[in-house]
Amino acid sequence: MSKTKKVVVISNAFLLTAGVENLVLELSGMLVDHVYSGSQRNLCEKIISRKPEFVIIDPESLNEKLIRLLRELNDEKDIKVIGIISSTSNQNIISKFSYTLNIQDNKYQLVEALQKIVGKRNKEEPGNEHLLSKRETEILQQLAMGLTNQEIADKLFLSVHTVMTHRKKITRKLGIKTVSGLTVFALMNKLVDIREVERQV
Amino acid sequence: MLLEKDMKLADVIHHDYNLIPVIARFNIMLGFGDSSIANICQKKKINTDFFLTILNSFHDSQYLDKHSEQNFSATQLIDYLQQTHNYYLKNKIPEIECLISEMLTKAEVDKASYDILQKFFEEYKTELVKHIDREEKLVYPYVIDLENAVQSNSVTPSLFSSIEEYSITSYQAEHESVEEKLRDLKNIIIKYLPPSEQQQSRYKLLKELTVLEKDLNDHANIEDLILVPKVELLEKHVLGK
Repeated sequence: MSKTKKVVVISNAFLLTAGVENLVLELSGMLVDHVYSGSQRNLCEKIISRKPEFVIIDPESLNEKLIRLLRELNDEKDIKVIGIISSTSNQNIISKFSYTLNIQDNKYQLVEALQKIVGKRNKEEPGNEHLLSKRETEILQQLAMGLTNQEIADKLFLSVHTVMTHRKKITRKLGIKTVSGLTVFALMNKLVDIREVERQV
Repeated sequence: MLLEKDMKLADVIHHDYNLIPVIARFNIMLGFGDSSIANICQKKKINTDFFLTILNSFHDSQYLDKHSEQNFSATQLIDYLQQTHNYYLKNKIPEIECLISEMLTKAEVDKASYDILQKFFEEYKTELVKHIDREEKLVYPYVIDLENAVQSNSVTPSLFSSIEEYSITSYQAEHESVEEKLRDLKNIIIKYLPPSEQQQSRYKLLKELTVLEKDLNDHANIEDLILVPKVELLEKHVLGK
């Protein structure tokens, strides 16, 4: 089973949103995680915190806020941004998106277009996707014992940046973000001993 | 479906049982017969517009994006938010604690795992309590002071300095970490708790955590989309004087 790909939709238009949700359901392994209206505060932060692989945007719902949001999302390398456009859309707006879906296309054209954007489903070994690498396990153990990024870097002779990259990978693989959550995982899998953890606390 | 004042509350509850804890916060007890929302509000001296706003925002998470006009005071809103905090601390959290400790007692194989789970939940609880405490001791009194100042048209110098020092905009980001811990906890139960025993209790626990998560999300939404804009308006009003 490969990982479910999360989609966040930005739109005020109900009919459009309902359509996008239906379209996403056509592709297996994808789901609409959340729908935000264009008037939401701190929209970009909210989107990023949901860790979507895709953000589908109705440009009409954002108006002048569109350019800024696209610029902010552009810094997120793991997020693909898809614009909903039509044949009558302003060329200027169409060109702002690396990926687009045309609202006038029929179902099969849309499914095909979306499938192209999404790419082939990754064929990871079933059940293996949450297996951590040796390095990741090491870092998880140190985290569970209460060490900071800097301390882990010093101890394992890595740069802080590398430690942080590994942490991100661990979180993505396990679906656990907080240090306490990661500690629970490490304890349950007997990667660390509870006495070691408690000594730190 | 938009919930309106001439609907029967019984029909509304049939339609969306998530609203049961919400009506409890307004001190409405089950057994209200065929009364309409308007009637019940009148009897209970509840501001109908406010009640409907809260009901609708729980019923449809996108409701607040479209309905920002409000006919109620910040004080009323805060009173409700405090009731909600009480519901978390006096009902929901103890219920979940009870479930976990029951599982711990019954556990045969995985005692250690449940023990870890219990510690994690206690940590989560401490954080939630801290967050709620901060809101009740700092944020809410500040908002009430603001509203009083606007109503009585008199601003004290100390209020002035707290607006400059504090300001509500800094408050919005604070819900995040509490939400993340809860999401982690659910993931751990779904994916990583060794699957040997007590499946029924786990379903129950997971359900309760999901209910709490939804309620907390709606609660945060009300704070971000009603309370914060309202207070920003009050701040502007006071500073404009």
